[in-house]
Amino acid sequence: MRSAVDNAVTERFKELLDRLGEKSVEDYYNPYKMFDWVDSIPEDVYWMSEDLISPYGTELVDELGVETMMRLSKWESINFYSMNVHGIRELLIEVVNRIHMPGFEIPSDFFHHFIGEENEHMWFFAEFCRRYGGKIYPTVKLELGSAGDADVENFLVFARILLFEEIVDFYNMRMGEDRSLHETIRQVNRIHHQDESRHIAFGRELVALLYKRIAGRLDETELRGIEDYLKRYVAFSLRAFYNPAVYRDAGVEDPMGFRSRLLADERRRAPELKVVRKPMSFLTKNGIITDPTLSIN
Amino acid sequence: MSTAINEVKEWILAKHAELTDIDPHLDLIENRLIDSLSFVEFVFLVSQLSGVEINVDTIELDDFRTLHNIEKRYF
Ligand SMILES: [Fe+2]
Ligand SMILES: [Fe+2]
Repeated sequence: MRSAVDNAVTERFKELLDRLGEKSVEDYYNPYKMFDWVDSIPEDVYWMSEDLISPYGTELVDELGVETMMRLSKWESINFYSMNVHGIRELLIEVVNRIHMPGFEIPSDFFHHFIGEENEHMWFFAEFCRRYGGKIYPTVKLELGSAGDADVENFLVFARILLFEEIVDFYNMRMGEDRSLHETIRQVNRIHHQDESRHIAFGRELVALLYKRIAGRLDETELRGIEDYLKRYVAFSLRAFYNPAVYRDAGVEDPMGFRSRLLADERRRAPELKVVRKPMSFLTKNGIITDPTLSIN
Repeated sequence: MSTAINEVKEWILAKHAELTDIDPHLDLIENRLIDSLSFVEFVFLVSQLSGVEINVDTIELDDFRTLHNIEKRYF
């Protein structure tokens, strides 16, 4: 069976693609000239909004003290931008694999904008990491393996991209408008958020369409398997914000133990759920998720 | 088997209700007992139980393939 996006699209989707494409052209900017890269960002300030730092909401904040929390905010922000670099590389591979291939003719024009913009995002995130952190945190990756069924695989690829972009966007929005942060930090987050609002609009529409296509054909067990996988992906993404290498760089004692304590702390659940509230409610509204309970630790 | 490697085994079993035991030579990755979404946690668990600091960028995948290999390398 010829499987892809073209067979699933509606008029509404085509109109959205046209609109987003035009918007991409209008909003186009030269990233290599756009940013005010200051020589350095002071160390004795927060690099991340306080409520986004991983111990937020627990007594570990007081245990660490303000100085260590500030140091931690620096390394957690470098970790966040590093996650962006790696996440973008992975999503680019998937989209590059599909552009101008049979079944993807309709979204291919949009894919050109998407690929171009993501390449630029990857550049400015990497630039931030190298300039102000002197490194990009590495990632561990096992090959994802394929779902076997091409329709399911397409759905999962774009659902993962959407979840990743929505999670990142929560942080970007918060930091872009946080007046207590350094202007360079705010700018990187604000500009990324502007581009991502187009990608997220595209992603939501596409993921809903692709799901309709498989929902009519798969049985209940298979659909619950997909739900389960996506919830595990959300939990996996949230856990990536608790990085032992970051705790080590911030000078936290026993980084592994610190991570375990935070993950086990029930007071962390509320801030985590806030991060994924929008995509979880999108998935629930579309019947993709029937039970929104996540098991994060 | 050491206590530590038993803890590793119990951790996997807890995620797979369909299993009661795991052969020390079973390929955990090939058989999808560990997948891309659980691998990071798995590496952290081995690191925590063994006290060995593991650099994620220099990991040898084969060291994590079987309980036998993990025990040989880390415990
Ligand atoms: Fe992006
Ligand atoms: Fe994006």
